[in-house]
Amino acid sequence: MSEHAAPKFKPADDPTFSLPSSLASLQLPLLGGGLVALIVGVGMAFAAESESMPRFGFSTYLTAYMYVLTLALGSLFFVLIQHLVRAGWSVVVRRIAECFMILILPLAILFLPILFSLFFEGRLFVWTDPNFASAHGLDAKMWATKTSFLNAPFFIARSVLYFLIWGGLAVYYWRGSTTQDETGERAATDRMQYWAGPAVMLFALTTSFAAFDWGMSLAPMWFSTMFGVYIFAGAILSAHCLITVVSYVLQRHGAMKDEITVEHYHDLGKYIFGFIVFWTYIGFSQYLLIWYGNMPEETEWFFARQRGVFGGLSIALILLHWLVPFLGTMSRHIRRRPGLMAMWACYILVMHAIDIYWIVMPEARHLVHENIPNLGGALGLIASILSIVGMTALFVGLGLRVASGNRVIAVRDPRLRESIVFENL
Amino acid sequence: MSDTNSEKIVHGMMAEFTTVDTLLSACRRIRDAGYTKTDAYTPFPVHGIDKALGIKPTILPWICFFAGLTGTCIALTMEIWMNGVDYKYIISGKPFISLPAFIPVAFELTILLASFGAFFGMWALNGLPRFSNPMFTDPRFDRATDDRFFLYIDAKDERYDAAGVRSLLTDTGSDYVSEVLEDNTPKEIPRPIFVIWGVAVAASVIPLLCVLLMRVTNSSQPRFHIFMDMDFSPAKDAQQVTSLFADNRAMRPDVPGTVARGQLIGSLDVMTGIDVDSLQAMNAPQAQRLVAAFMQDDQAAIADEVTDVAKAEDDKETPSVMDTTPWVTENPMTVDSELMARGQQQFGIYCSVCHGMDGKGNGLVNQRAQEKGFDTWVPPSNMHQDTLYSDKYPDGKLFSTISNGIRKMPGYAGQIKVEDRWAIVAYVRALQKSQNATMDLIPEGRKEEVKSAVDAAQKELQRQADEAAKAAAAREQK
Repeated sequence: MSEHAAPKFKPADDPTFSLPSSLASLQLPLLGGGLVALIVGVGMAFAAESESMPRFGFSTYLTAYMYVLTLALGSLFFVLIQHLVRAGWSVVVRRIAECFMILILPLAILFLPILFSLFFEGRLFVWTDPNFASAHGLDAKMWATKTSFLNAPFFIARSVLYFLIWGGLAVYYWRGSTTQDETGERAATDRMQYWAGPAVMLFALTTSFAAFDWGMSLAPMWFSTMFGVYIFAGAILSAHCLITVVSYVLQRHGAMKDEITVEHYHDLGKYIFGFIVFWTYIGFSQYLLIWYGNMPEETEWFFARQRGVFGGLSIALILLHWLVPFLGTMSRHIRRRPGLMAMWACYILVMHAIDIYWIVMPEARHLVHENIPNLGGALGLIASILSIVGMTALFVGLGLRVASGNRVIAVRDPRLRESIVFENL
Repeated sequence: MSDTNSEKIVHGMMAEFTTVDTLLSACRRIRDAGYTKTDAYTPFPVHGIDKALGIKPTILPWICFFAGLTGTCIALTMEIWMNGVDYKYIISGKPFISLPAFIPVAFELTILLASFGAFFGMWALNGLPRFSNPMFTDPRFDRATDDRFFLYIDAKDERYDAAGVRSLLTDTGSDYVSEVLEDNTPKEIPRPIFVIWGVAVAASVIPLLCVLLMRVTNSSQPRFHIFMDMDFSPAKDAQQVTSLFADNRAMRPDVPGTVARGQLIGSLDVMTGIDVDSLQAMNAPQAQRLVAAFMQDDQAAIADEVTDVAKAEDDKETPSVMDTTPWVTENPMTVDSELMARGQQQFGIYCSVCHGMDGKGNGLVNQRAQEKGFDTWVPPSNMHQDTLYSDKYPDGKLFSTISNGIRKMPGYAGQIKVEDRWAIVAYVRALQKSQNATMDLIPEGRKEEVKSAVDAAQKELQRQADEAAKAAAAREQK
């Protein structure tokens, strides 16, 4: 029916449908190395704490954690939205997203250090410090209202709820998809599509509130209703990038050689391009209103990110997280070259890490007027990079572990054939 | 068949196919045979047909890109020109050229022009709008929107040769190959179209006629307001009453402690004419009250603090506040010709009506009041008396008098800006000096010039006096 050679549909037990052994053998090095790098990195971060950056240690861990969490949440949303709109094109790459989506479960364990920080008053979230309001001259009545939401028991309860919902969704869609690999029953797809609507709503609410709790409450006096959407925009963008990179790597190692075609890279590329603009749009919407209103309680957050090294980072984000990849991924000719697209995806994954760093780290500064946040010196910079790299290695290692026990493609999905022969106009 | 149609213009050759696959293979055949002016017609989009026909990649994305870029540039240029150059207007206290505020418009115009570029670019590249196509002359072509696929080779193609094309197309498996001929249906516009057009034009005049009718006829009905809140704005004007606020004033006073943009001229010394540091040393409570009054922007309280003139002037026994206050003794503005010119202008506007252009206290208002003999009239001061010279009446005191008034004279703080009041002070000093000036004060280079000017003025005055005397004598004689 087209220019391509007629596709050959392989049997479900074809060897190219499982994780290539060259990648499977990377599991242990990644897991071990990642864990060591993470522990060393966070340890160094605690050593890099100083007068001007008193909450550097836990903040560094939170940065690394939020980075991989957004990757997992983005993957979860990718799976949900494909079911919601009954997408055909994406079936060949959906299992990759599913492998990362299910990592919500181990990430719940990796969240424990953040809960642990609640026991040290004001070492990560300043609202845990009972003297915070009086030390900063805040209105007691207003602070009482704030802390009726921002208090340790309620915070823990909410966090547990988020993980229950995300974990429940991830397990439900993971089971549905992997069971279908064996049974091939169509009803599984119907069931997953049926629940996709409520699942997306639950996802939107929990992700937004998690972003408020774990990102925005670092600056407890600051508020932005756009913040949750901003985190989500970064998450969904980086999830598409992750899927692109992993597809490319898998194909380079011989898996799914004929199933993922240039058409899928083209589509992923379109989404990456679109979500780059979406991220910028959301980021700018948040900034514009705060800039325009110019109220001290709102501008505080951006003010800390307009001076010193973080001021430079803000400009760099505009240029390197938007302008460069925006122009870079605009052309169809680039999107139809898998190697180039994988390169751009890697680039944006690095940018997303910087974005998360830019969100979290300035709040580790000493909260006295005019105190400019810094990188924590050479030690702090190395600690941050080591932590993020270590956490990412751990994340990828866990992903490989999940993938090695399963197929890397939803082999009996009723839309698999549609996806394989899918073509852009 | 070809004989009967031989006089008609041949546009090209078309072939009908029943399946997508035969169409695609036929496309590849004619592409490989080197035909370029070709087209295919299908009831639904067919993947890969552009490649099968060898259609070159479109330049539409570039048109779209540059149209979008044009939109960005137009929007930014327009906004920078409008708000930064042509009509500078402070909005929300932002700089005239502030990029964040410009981005939404730039974004919208980028999208708009990019869409226009894509849409109309597509039209232009496809030769649209086109109301008819020679293909329509063949009744079999109707099925192109149903279940048949057509391939067309244009006669303008370099390689076109009727017999060769016909055999090539037949060879590709088409059951039906036919020449596409000039459309021979009549070209006149059908009569009903004119009727419809005429009716539409006539109907479009009706609203205009209604408007005209309403403009020339009177009606006892009240006017119909489409936009009620535009015709009757709920916004209050200055000096109006409202029930919204406890003081019933629609015009809101400044929030205590705020200073309006451009109103903070300098220190309290500059604003009051009082040396506040010395006052603090002499009379701390009064200094504090003064500062508090300024913080509250309470004009009445400021006036109370600065002057108790009426009381003090009559009561010579106790020293007046006006005498005990440590006034600023030196004009805080830079006294130059520019300030002097400003002072002269402002003096001319505000002071001269009573004090006279020369400051001798005989302005037009005073002349009129004297003529009418108002018994409540207090004549304005002559500024050329030594009690008003700077050694007895410091600059700060003069400034304070202009600001807060004295006797019948009202305060001018509300009308004259702080800098201008100081300019007037400087000008009054110059006026006073002018009455006692000697030639020694004139710089060497300009002595001659001034001397001749003074001589000319004296001669002129003399002449006027002589003439007046003559005229008086003449009147006397009559």
